[in-house]
Amino acid sequence: MKISHSPAESDNKSLALTVGDQAKVYAARIRLQNAVDQADALDAIREIAGNLIGTEEVAVFKVDKKRSELWLYWSFGIDPNKHSLLEVRREPRLKQVLSGKPVFRVRLSTENLLCTDDPVNALIPVLVDGSPCAVIVLFRLFPHKAGIEPVDKEICGVLSNCASRAVEPCHSR
Amino acid sequence: MAKKVLLVDDSTTTLMMEEMILKQRTNYECVTAKDGLDAISRAVVEAPDLVLMDVVMPRMNGFEACKRMRTESSLSKTPIILVTTRGEEEYVEAGFQSGCNDYITKPINGFELVTLLRSYLGE
Repeated sequence: MKISHSPAESDNKSLALTVGDQAKVYAARIRLQNAVDQADALDAIREIAGNLIGTEEVAVFKVDKKRSELWLYWSFGIDPNKHSLLEVRREPRLKQVLSGKPVFRVRLSTENLLCTDDPVNALIPVLVDGSPCAVIVLFRLFPHKAGIEPVDKEICGVLSNCASRAVEPCHSR
Repeated sequence: MAKKVLLVDDSTTTLMMEEMILKQRTNYECVTAKDGLDAISRAVVEAPDLVLMDVVMPRMNGFEACKRMRTESSLSKTPIILVTTRGEEEYVEAGFQSGCNDYITKPINGFELVTLLRSYLGE
């Protein structure tokens, strides 16, 4: 179906977009907060990535005690053998993520966030008591999705603050 | 009387989001099902005015559920919109062959969803 964008519809469009964005952020938060255990929390991350952001390639890396490397803890839709370990000294962007700030590949950018053949679109710190103890990595987006949008960044913020159950106990290396 | 929409998805996140969008932007009544088999039985009982259904689900996928709904006399003309993660031509074609009326791709855009449903159900 072709969606029209006449000026008369502009108010409706922005309102519907706002409601749609709010609904996504709300659904992500409630889903994570209601996760019954670790497996369910990891499933919630997969659901949110696939249904709300637009990627079926996602991984969770845990941070080691020395904060020098990240090791693959869980993944969906990627080859785990290609991404078993990330060394912080080799990946300058990881330092920013480990300071608690997410990093995004900007719209239509060809820039790679990590030294990997697979394009990475977001690196999201998972905060426990305000400190990052894991990183959620979003790889390729769906082909029809142009890039990470403002609402996606808000959803990533929810992942950052509400996904701690998925990675407990915090340090296990 | 409010139009009734059957939302079908195995993801509670998606159901929550769709329901919130429709409740805030329309006066449609929402009922939900969590897979294709559940959707068929719910649809027979609830007689929805439209079905919005995911494709990839456990027990029975959206294509199969769509085909079976078309064999039910009470559902043969009910608009069915499939929600897909893929917009590729062959995937969309498979959806239409299963008997769906339209499709929308994930991640769902609130404006597109409301506009599409209104085109079938009106305000």
